[in-house]
Amino acid sequence: MVYTSVTKLCIKDLIPGSTKTSGKKIDIDAILPYFIVPGLLLIATISRTVTIAVMVVIAMGALYVQTRPRQKNRSSFFFSWTFSSGVCMFLIFENGILGFFEITMIENSVFLLLLSCTLYFFYKMKTIAENELTGSGTKGKEYSPVLTSDSHYCQICQIEVNERYFHSIWWDCCILRPNYIHFLAGHTFAFATLLLGTNLGLTTVCQPFILYAAILMPLDCEDIYYDFNMSICFVACIYALGYALVIAMVLIRQLIVYLPKYSEPQWKKLVNVLNV
Amino acid sequence: MRHVFKKKIIYCGVVVIILIILLHPDMNASRSYEYIEKDNILSSLHEATAVNFTSTAVLDCDYNDIIHDETTLSISLIDGDLIEGHKIREGGEYAPSNCKPKYSTAIIVPYRDKAEQLRGFLVYMHTYFHRQHIHYRIYVVEQVDSRPFNRAKLMNIGAAAAMKAGYPCLILHDVDLLPLRPANLYACTEQPRHMSSSINKFRFVLPYLNLFGGAIAILSKQFKTVNGMSNEFYGVSGEDDDLYSRLEANDLKVCRFQPETSRYHMVSSKAERRLVQRKKQTSFTKERMATDGLSSLKYTEVATVLHPLFTHIMVDL
Repeated sequence: MVYTSVTKLCIKDLIPGSTKTSGKKIDIDAILPYFIVPGLLLIATISRTVTIAVMVVIAMGALYVQTRPRQKNRSSFFFSWTFSSGVCMFLIFENGILGFFEITMIENSVFLLLLSCTLYFFYKMKTIAENELTGSGTKGKEYSPVLTSDSHYCQICQIEVNERYFHSIWWDCCILRPNYIHFLAGHTFAFATLLLGTNLGLTTVCQPFILYAAILMPLDCEDIYYDFNMSICFVACIYALGYALVIAMVLIRQLIVYLPKYSEPQWKKLVNVLNV
Repeated sequence: MRHVFKKKIIYCGVVVIILIILLHPDMNASRSYEYIEKDNILSSLHEATAVNFTSTAVLDCDYNDIIHDETTLSISLIDGDLIEGHKIREGGEYAPSNCKPKYSTAIIVPYRDKAEQLRGFLVYMHTYFHRQHIHYRIYVVEQVDSRPFNRAKLMNIGAAAAMKAGYPCLILHDVDLLPLRPANLYACTEQPRHMSSSINKFRFVLPYLNLFGGAIAILSKQFKTVNGMSNEFYGVSGEDDDLYSRLEANDLKVCRFQPETSRYHMVSSKAERRLVQRKKQTSFTKERMATDGLSSLKYTEVATVLHPLFTHIMVDL
């Protein structure tokens, strides 16, 4: 009973116009995605139409969250969503797709290697951000109650940091200068991992064709909804493809908007050296 | 300092354990395996023709070009028709007329219900075999009763018929598999051969090394030695694993050609196959091998019809 009322509260929180916050909200928000993501993937295994519908719903939900005012997205729900999605896709890959006995040892090893690189960079990114926030990082020493011109107030982290890049709700941390490179590397590796994983998965459940040498591409994905194992793998692959698409957009955005900003001081340094 | 060191060791240990769990070797397929090199194929083949087969040709057929053939046949052949003047005799028997074949092969195909698939298979296979200069005959064994499909017993029935006709080499073939490379010569090697080791639906990998299903080539005398296949696999899979165990028990080692040569196209969907093969039954014993197989083969033959493209054996199991 208590649980349901609290759950209702957090869903309410997601609705625009509501500013209520409760103490227990954080916990439930963090746990909820661990049920929603597998649930949605399971529902999507019913048929092709349902898969498309579920994926559209997820995409709409993500778009909606993105378009909300940022300070309203103060919840661990989104990071939990990212994490639970990763866990789901990983488990389906290791238990479902490998269960077809069609992935070679090398392919699996490369996948695991890419995945561990991804995890490493994201872990680093989060720890650095946390260090910054707790004040043990470099920025903490420069903390001053007066905002200087290059300082901003991050409303989500509730601290002021200079050189604030942006706040990523999906990672629940601020992306600052010290961890920006980890953010980029993490996303690049995540993109590679997802692409490899979906390629392996889709060529397993679908009929593949040889693109070049040992590189296969999925060709024909008929008849996958007859077998639960195959359909769950297929749905997870589609979900992963969606994620890969989002990550690709994030990376492109970084290239256009943030990369020049990040590399500017370094350019200046180089130019200064040349000026001498 | 020591504490940090200990922590590192624990981390390394955890990583190693996770890797061992995730890389579980028995769950990984292999793209490459031990195979007979192209240049050694001809010497490893068992040269023999059917007992009552005679050829009027003077010259022996040359198989070197076939082994080194790099072409791939098109799957669209299954929708077409056979060329005119194909010279296939009643019962689906064929031998090249311009040269004397060195190999006689009986292709045994268990079948039920899929007429369209069978038509495509026959057209494709005859076109394919025409490039191989071998003497062959296609036996289609159809289960006409309503009991669950018993692939292994149908194989036994077909093999018995082919052996009676004097064929020294048997190829046990699924109707939904099509060989893509004419270099994959349909003749028997001295050791039983697993032919379909690179199927498109299986990502062109070999799921496990002991796999011995799909399309296999085995000498008639070897098939007799292992007492054929088990007759008890009604509607369940695992008959191929059982056959593998029988070979192992008789010290027969399985061989293969290289993956590029052994490419196959599977027509039916994987889900369809999985539905048929749900339960696995493995209860192999040497005692059962002696009592269950060719020696205990009992069935009612409904009819044997010689069609233009195949010998049709209809049986009631």
